[in-house]
Amino acid sequence: MTLGLLLAISGAALAVILGGIGSSIGVGLAGQAASGVMSEDPGKFGSVLLLVALPGTQGIYGFLSGFLVILKLGLISGAVLQPTVNQGVAIFFACLPVGVAGLVSAIHQGKVCTAGVQMVAKQPKESVKPMVLAALVETYAVLGLLATVLLLNGIKLP
Amino acid sequence: MPVLQEAGLVHLEEAKFEGIDLRRKTVDASDADRTLARLKHALDVFADMDETPGLKRLLRPKPELSLKAMSGALNRGYGRVLDKLERLESERNALSAEMKLLHKEADFLEPLRDIVLPLEAFRGTRTVEVRLVVVPAAEAERLEEKAAEGPFWFEVVSRDKRSCRVVAIFPRESVDEGEAVLEELGAVQIDLGARVAAAGRGERIEDLLAANRLERDRKASAAAGLEAGIRALAVHAPALMPVYDVLMNEREMLLADRFLGETEAVSCIEGWVRVADKARLEKKVAEVSDAAQVCFREPLPDEEPPVFLDNPKAARPFEIITNLYGLPERGYLDPTIPLAPFFFIFVGLSVSDGGYGILVVALSLLYMKFAHPRAGARLFAKLALYLGISNIVFGTFFGAWLGFPIRSVLLMDPLKDPIPFLALSLGLGFLQVWVGTLLSMITGLRNKAYLESIFVKGGWLLLLPSLILYFVTKHPAAGVAALIGAAGVIFFAAPSRNPFSRFFGGLYSLYGISGYVSDTLSYSRILALGLSTGVIGMVVNNLTQTAFRIPVAGWVLAPLIFVGGHLFNLGIGFLGGFVHSMRLQFVEYFTKFYKGGGRPFKPLRLENKYVEFVE
Repeated sequence: MTLGLLLAISGAALAVILGGIGSSIGVGLAGQAASGVMSEDPGKFGSVLLLVALPGTQGIYGFLSGFLVILKLGLISGAVLQPTVNQGVAIFFACLPVGVAGLVSAIHQGKVCTAGVQMVAKQPKESVKPMVLAALVETYAVLGLLATVLLLNGIKLP
Repeated sequence: MPVLQEAGLVHLEEAKFEGIDLRRKTVDASDADRTLARLKHALDVFADMDETPGLKRLLRPKPELSLKAMSGALNRGYGRVLDKLERLESERNALSAEMKLLHKEADFLEPLRDIVLPLEAFRGTRTVEVRLVVVPAAEAERLEEKAAEGPFWFEVVSRDKRSCRVVAIFPRESVDEGEAVLEELGAVQIDLGARVAAAGRGERIEDLLAANRLERDRKASAAAGLEAGIRALAVHAPALMPVYDVLMNEREMLLADRFLGETEAVSCIEGWVRVADKARLEKKVAEVSDAAQVCFREPLPDEEPPVFLDNPKAARPFEIITNLYGLPERGYLDPTIPLAPFFFIFVGLSVSDGGYGILVVALSLLYMKFAHPRAGARLFAKLALYLGISNIVFGTFFGAWLGFPIRSVLLMDPLKDPIPFLALSLGLGFLQVWVGTLLSMITGLRNKAYLESIFVKGGWLLLLPSLILYFVTKHPAAGVAALIGAAGVIFFAAPSRNPFSRFFGGLYSLYGISGYVSDTLSYSRILALGLSTGVIGMVVNNLTQTAFRIPVAGWVLAPLIFVGGHLFNLGIGFLGGFVHSMRLQFVEYFTKFYKGGGRPFKPLRLENKYVEFVE
């Protein structure tokens, strides 16, 4: 196994790990608030569920970026490519946008969703508006994903 | 009022006439509120007992109630049902409170079950004192040492990991000494309290527990009887539903009285009515009495009439999006039709899976067929239907079916080469931003802001596309067109008399181009969302294939992974696609031409919660 391959794999791992950490924290925050709200009115499960799920997307973006790297390296098909060190470093850095932007934005999106859950507690009919606000935060994770995908697409392996 | 309510045409407001002092009615709806709350509680209780499966309940249409039967609904003695339910409930609640106390008592006594001494023994005798104490388990061995040291007698009656319960007996003359020993052992006294005084001859703790058990069983069966009584009342639920709805409407009507203005001889009321409904309203009022009169007038310039969205049937589901943002203020366009095609395309491209599309179409059709939803729920089902169709179209040509792209018809494959798809997303974004500016020009023209609309908005409309064209083709004509557009913005964006401040203010406005650029770039999310659904679909299929290779277990596992994975992807795909497409409308599109903040047109009309009113 070459150093290039190792670097590329660590990039994939980092994308999944950072996105996963961010989403866990974000979903965790919103989930606690949701349980609090449901202790008063369990019927709000449906309207708070989506708000709790929203900060989970960063983890998914991280995972799918990691998966793209796995595909690119041929780790699933079995015909594993051996990128050079430079290529490995390039793939490693290409994974950073989705990882880091996902980590930070998921946490902050979790906070927005927490506030949204509390809003739904008082205004049960307005469950979509806080979702739009949360999507404003998610923009940067989406852009991070986009940058990662475009960068990965640009790195041509032999 | 009943006629107005049945007609459902008028949004009522407080009646006022200059120079005439109108009497107001004081309205007290607290009785109605109380009865409605009682009914709601009863219906909730009965709904909890309803054992119809959730899906079937969701698909069950509301029962119908004819308008003529409305008043009759109240005369079937619903009060007796409510009274009986409340009596049974309060008895049951009292029983369960008593049972809780008995449980507590049993929990207290259970560790002491093995004490063979009768309870009366704890009264002590003239010569000895009898105590019941808890000693930490670690001290148990020292008990015997202590017993050997002085005139004490200790007996461990029960023990667990942390502590043991001990009967301690010592002579009255050495009480102080005995207490000191107990303190040294870290003992805590258990107070049997009134139980000792009340105990009969020879009665032991075991007997108390048996009696407790018996009493609890008796109460539990009584509670079960009450529960069955409540359950039996649930047959009245279908009769209570119309009562709730009829009373709710009576309450609304009662509250509408607060808008009335009265003099000695006449009552009057003001309100808004749609122009299209004028004739119908006149006819309805004429039916009431010859003395009733309706007059119409146009809204005054400083009035904010309530807003009613009036769109062709096909576009109506998209009113959901408009309503979420807020209704248009007076003088602004209804954005529903302008947003509909964009929203349709964006959701299609950001989910881009035909298989999910088919599933959503099927689900929404089934829901509409079996549940007969009305109003909001029906609109939402239709919107889902549209978005499903959009996914079938865009999934086929730009995405996949359940994660499998159909390569022969694919117009572009974002997984292989995302750049054309990115260009498509940005192109659509640019188009929407441009249309938004166009709509803002139209709104401006309608509000008679001619100069600004034609030169500034028109300038942008010319500048933006021609600038792109110039960068792509380098054709001088495009450059000239861009300059003309820019000139419009520079000379008219800052309406000042001072030519310098006008020029530099205008030049500064040109900086607004960065806003247009960033708005357009924001649409790149369509690519990212479309890709994420595509890739996750692919991952699911990959995992399914891998699982398939596992012998035996794979045959069970693989379909589970396939179905579960795709359902998950459908869920998050649609959630993301819907929310982000909505954001693009609200943040990038609406800000160009639209102002929400209108108040909804809410006519006094028959509202329903549990039943459908039919003619």
